Amino acid sequence: MSISTGPIASRQESSVSRLASSILSSVARRNLRQILLAIVLPVVVIALWQWEGNGGSLFGGVLPTPDRVWHAWKVWAFGASGLSLNPYSGTWLANLLFSAERVGKGFLLAIVVAVPVGLAIGWNRIASGSLDPTVQLLRPIPITAWLPFSIAVFGIRDMGAVFLIALGAFYPIVVNSAQGARDIERNLVRAAMMMGAGRWTILRRVVLPASLPSIFTGLRIGLGIAWTAVIVAEMVAVKSGLGYVLWDAYYVGRMDVVIADMATIGLLGLISDRVILLIEQWVLAWRRLQSFHS
Amino acid sequence: MGTITFENVSKTFSGQSEVRALDGINLAIGEGEFVALLGPSGCGKSTLLNLLAGFEKTTEGILLFDGKTVTRPGPDRGVVFQEAALFPWLNVWQNVIFGPQVQGVARADYESRARNLLKLVGLESFADALPVQLSGGMRQRVGIARVLAMSPKALLMDEPFGALDAQTRLSMQQLLLDVWQSLGTTVLFVTHDIDEAILLSDRICVMSARPGRIIRTIPITMPRPRSIASLTSAEFVAYKARIMSDMKVGAASH
Ligand SMILES: Nc1ncnc2c1ncn2[C@@H]1O[C@H](COP(=O)(O)OP(=O)(O)O)[C@@H](O)[C@H]1O
Ligand SMILES: [Mg+2]
Repeated sequence: MSISTGPIASRQESSVSRLASSILSSVARRNLRQILLAIVLPVVVIALWQWEGNGGSLFGGVLPTPDRVWHAWKVWAFGASGLSLNPYSGTWLANLLFSAERVGKGFLLAIVVAVPVGLAIGWNRIASGSLDPTVQLLRPIPITAWLPFSIAVFGIRDMGAVFLIALGAFYPIVVNSAQGARDIERNLVRAAMMMGAGRWTILRRVVLPASLPSIFTGLRIGLGIAWTAVIVAEMVAVKSGLGYVLWDAYYVGRMDVVIADMATIGLLGLISDRVILLIEQWVLAWRRLQSFHS
Repeated sequence: MGTITFENVSKTFSGQSEVRALDGINLAIGEGEFVALLGPSGCGKSTLLNLLAGFEKTTEGILLFDGKTVTRPGPDRGVVFQEAALFPWLNVWQNVIFGPQVQGVARADYESRARNLLKLVGLESFADALPVQLSGGMRQRVGIARVLAMSPKALLMDEPFGALDAQTRLSMQQLLLDVWQSLGTTVLFVTHDIDEAILLSDRICVMSARPGRIIRTIPITMPRPRSIASLTSAEFVAYKARIMSDMKVGAASH
């Protein structure tokens, strides 16, 4: 052979270490500048809010200042439960876990159903013809419109919330999975057929991995909807969780708890999105290299 | 083993406007023969190869592989694609053993063979690399190794070196000649490069476009084994002059 592989080997190794060091140094640079840049706006808003509200509250006494919200949050999170007059004292973690568990169950249910259905729709003409129209017909119905239906069928129980969450997350996952399977490169499928793979093997070993980037897009959108759905469901259809506390605190005029609750929801949404992103980066390592090289 | 027969094969793509991509193709290829399909782009070379691979269905005529009608793709006909078409999420090793694996061959029965094939194409130290980390030529070598791993009776190659730079292409042509020399597999090789067709094949079928037809068949009797040194021989130059005039005829006839 006239081409030696030696120089190519060392080039490949150095490109891997270059990738690693460039990621590290960019993370370090981001840590300084990016984080500073990111917190300017929230800090300004909170400072203004505090300053404007000093001497009482904002908006004619409706809105508590950040320090009061922070205090309410601490009591809600770390206060003794059951003993004090404050019914929220010490119930933060329990309610957070109620909501997170519902999101987890609903989201998993959505994944388990939506990914296979989506791949089938994108991959098989009969599945597409028989399933896609129904999905498209139901999709415009907002999950809020399903609330009475859900309460009537499942009652004021966990199952209702899980149903709404699963339904809300189902659509973006199914649509993106189908898109991923539809967009698969024709020659990859041909290559697999040429090597003797049957339809089932092709679905599992070619269509599924090729669709993963698009499936993950669906998962991230679906998870956002799952958090919306859990709050809506808990406000109406169950008697626990962050959504329930949100509405309950509003009724008794505890706006400090309402805002602490909102912040908690935002934080959980952010963290769970980052978790999906991390899993995505791990599962799709081959793809990150691809975009880095080209 | 590995004989190919086209009898009056035609292919029409239906759609908004019908395209008659192939018209009355007659072609018989014997065991172990190396045949090149040469023609301008759009003349139906890929279509002819895809029919034989089983990716497309004939509109008319008879198409036999080893005496049996071609109905679907299979590991007896290993296809090498222009852009390699490796699975980007599998590393080199996993790509090479994909065929034996999905056919349910036991690991012990394909492992040493696959290792040898990686060595044959010069990629034994790249078993763990992902396709994206390889150069175009290296990817194409993986593409060749993975079809050889299935011990196909014929290799169907669709402009496999068309996207490579000149020097890499020469080394790939040499590699293919060496592989073919030692395995004796039937090869149907699509190209639009006259030099490549002469260097590699026993016989060149020159095609013309719209409708796609084989207008000339030229046996290449240059001695084997050949190497890229043959590219400058007087015999080679004579073949080239003749084929160039043939292709001009093909271009003028429509
Ligand atoms: N799937 C298809 N549908 C419609 N027309 C096609 C299809 N595939 C190829 N063709 C047409 O058939 C003709 C031959 O194409 P092709 O076999 O790809 O030529 P080549 O490989 O020689 O460049 C072209 O005119 C092309 O546009
Ligand atoms: Mg072509």
